[in-house]
Amino acid sequence: MATIAPGVKTGPYHAVLDHIHPEPTSFIRKYIFSIDHKVIGIQYMITGGLFFLIAGMLAEVIRYTLLQPQGQMGISAATYNGVYSMHGSAMVWLVIIPLVTGAFGNFVMPLQIGARDVAFPWLNLLAFWMFPVAGVILFSSFLIGAPDAGWTEYPPISVQGPPGTTLWCIAIFLIGVSSTLTGINFIVTIYKMRAPGMTLTRMPLFVWAQFATAGLSFIATTALAAALLALFCERVFNVPFYDPSRGGSPVLWQHMFWFYSHPAVYIMILPAFGIVSEVLPTFSRKPIFGYKMIAFSTVAIALLGFSVWAHHMFTSGMVPWLQLPFMIITMLIAIPTGVKIFSWVATLWGGSIRWTTPMLFATGFLITFTLGGLTGFFLAAVPADYHEHGTYFVVAHFHYVLYGGSVMGLFAGFYYWWPKMTGRMYNEAMGQWHFWITFVAFNCTFMPMHWLGLMGMPRRVPIYDPAAWYVFWNQFASISSFVLAASMLLFAYNFWSSFRSGKIAGPNPWGARTLEWMISSPAPYYNFKKIPAVLATPYDFGNPLPYLGLEAAEGATEATPTHSSHPVPTY
Amino acid sequence: MSVSIAKQGYQLGHGHDDHDHEQVIYQETRDMRLLGFVLFLCSDVVLFSSFIFAYIYLRTTVAPIWPPMIDGHQLPRLDTAFAAVNSVVLFGSGVTMHYALENWKHGTRAMYNLFMGLTILLGAMFLGGQAYEYAHAQIGGWSGNTFGASFFTLTGMHGFHVFVGVVFLAVLWWQSSRGVYDHERYFGLTAGTLYWHFVDVIWVALFFLFYLW
Repeated sequence: MATIAPGVKTGPYHAVLDHIHPEPTSFIRKYIFSIDHKVIGIQYMITGGLFFLIAGMLAEVIRYTLLQPQGQMGISAATYNGVYSMHGSAMVWLVIIPLVTGAFGNFVMPLQIGARDVAFPWLNLLAFWMFPVAGVILFSSFLIGAPDAGWTEYPPISVQGPPGTTLWCIAIFLIGVSSTLTGINFIVTIYKMRAPGMTLTRMPLFVWAQFATAGLSFIATTALAAALLALFCERVFNVPFYDPSRGGSPVLWQHMFWFYSHPAVYIMILPAFGIVSEVLPTFSRKPIFGYKMIAFSTVAIALLGFSVWAHHMFTSGMVPWLQLPFMIITMLIAIPTGVKIFSWVATLWGGSIRWTTPMLFATGFLITFTLGGLTGFFLAAVPADYHEHGTYFVVAHFHYVLYGGSVMGLFAGFYYWWPKMTGRMYNEAMGQWHFWITFVAFNCTFMPMHWLGLMGMPRRVPIYDPAAWYVFWNQFASISSFVLAASMLLFAYNFWSSFRSGKIAGPNPWGARTLEWMISSPAPYYNFKKIPAVLATPYDFGNPLPYLGLEAAEGATEATPTHSSHPVPTY
Repeated sequence: MSVSIAKQGYQLGHGHDDHDHEQVIYQETRDMRLLGFVLFLCSDVVLFSSFIFAYIYLRTTVAPIWPPMIDGHQLPRLDTAFAAVNSVVLFGSGVTMHYALENWKHGTRAMYNLFMGLTILLGAMFLGGQAYEYAHAQIGGWSGNTFGASFFTLTGMHGFHVFVGVVFLAVLWWQSSRGVYDHERYFGLTAGTLYWHFVDVIWVALFFLFYLW
């Protein structure tokens, strides 16, 4: 048994924490087939980033087509169908889900719980490599006819769809297996491998978010696997599940699909909540407000998320008496979400705020995500949904929660943990420009879609009413989206130049208090020389650090303030 | 910060020698693998549940009559008596698996070999019975109608799990003969037993849904 502090021995599960596989020396074992969670996390980031580039270009093809009400020469309706279907599928399964769980979960979570790796490093390696393979399969469907029924692939269109739809099934199935394995891995890691003394209510909130997300992924994803398997069998072996002319039911797909895909919405957003919960207290120099309320509302959202799937199906011919409970439970989710929003706002209140780039993205997230949440309320209301279903209002809503929520959260996390990943600082001025361009261009792109949708513009159609009003707002949105895309160049250049010649960051540039900032940057292979003991939540700014027996990196704790401008919290 | 370290729930170590340290690592690794394996089985339950939901949905809300009509004739029901015998074979293998593990724990190697062999044999017999049933079921094949689609997909998925289980157990048997496990460290056998019981439990649901309902 290792000794972690004078007179204190490690508790259960900590012998295994102390046990570390030797650092590989060959290039392939170190960077390609590594089992180190940090390397795998960065591999997820790079791969997800490449897919983000491709899926983002597909989005620009959509916006380019909509510059004119009659569409564009060279982009047929069939091509357009393939483009928006692949844009949605890739953004959900190849970008956001792998980035929020695989990338940030892998890189940050084991560091934050004081572990040396995840519970099953080899499983982690396997899960990662399924991801690029799935991506290649998905994009290669363009070669044989891309799926054309939208990212939701509703039958019977998807049953009759082009050959690429079969590849779509295989790719999404693979990414689902990868996501399930990662979920299992993370639950075991978080449950069994926390540093001694890190009780559940002392975990950083990002870890809480990963815990709830992992629970969602390992339970919900197999429901999608079943739906995909049935679709695959129907397309390849002609087995009737969804074809109404043969006794099947298209609504069956919608049930199975949304039983996964509604929880998947929370798989995509909960980790972003976790990132924001780390960034806000650090840059307000103030304990997070309502730690337990934020943690428990995360779990509440995850649990409620399983019982609301049919709110996507109000217009699908569902039994009317079921609509009311689904509407009410959906609206109930606003309560735990509101608890979070208010807790974050209260964290800002009275803090010594530093407007760094991650902080700007986190506060931008608060605004855009709240707007997206509010339109979610409109869509949950059955009578309003009858009008809004299948219009651009829905597109506006989910881009506000997915881009304004998940992606803004990802940007915040990326800027926040970049120094830990590389040991270097990015260019702060360029980062802030990136934020402001993103924030303005994002709102200009997606805000008009609310009123376009309310005025009846349907989604997934390459042509629209040539009245001047529709043309103006579509062109406005398209041009804004080009600016949004261009802002990514700034982002890419910033990280490229920082990687090449950025200022050395030191272990703890932000003066944060979670465990990952206590070790040198970039983190050493074994993470912690000694596994520390944890005495309190990490957010008590103004108190001494709650870690015992920690061999902190030199300078890691210097940034911790010795005074605080606010009273000790009472939570 | 005045919280005393003794309140943190630490357990003191058992000692410092290498054997103890290695034993603790083994136990911790085993517990983590066990949790991971149980979680894997849970997600597999969702896979079956989704198809069971599909079957119930197609049967109760879509089909006007069950078994469905094909070309003016109603399909026959499945052969419950045969499936009942086959089920007894599978459940019997669950019992022998239990005794195989118990005998391994108690170190009675000959009895372990007997029960392990019986389990694999019964599992293979169940698969044979299922193949016979597939050949004789008059419900229009896998792609004929929703009855055949649900029946062959669900029991086929289950049969695949049984097949994987038979291979799994055979590998475990071979490993245990090669001295991979001892009478204190046998996580593989625990996982195999859990998996085998899981396959049994799924069959209980399928038997009820397809033969008794």
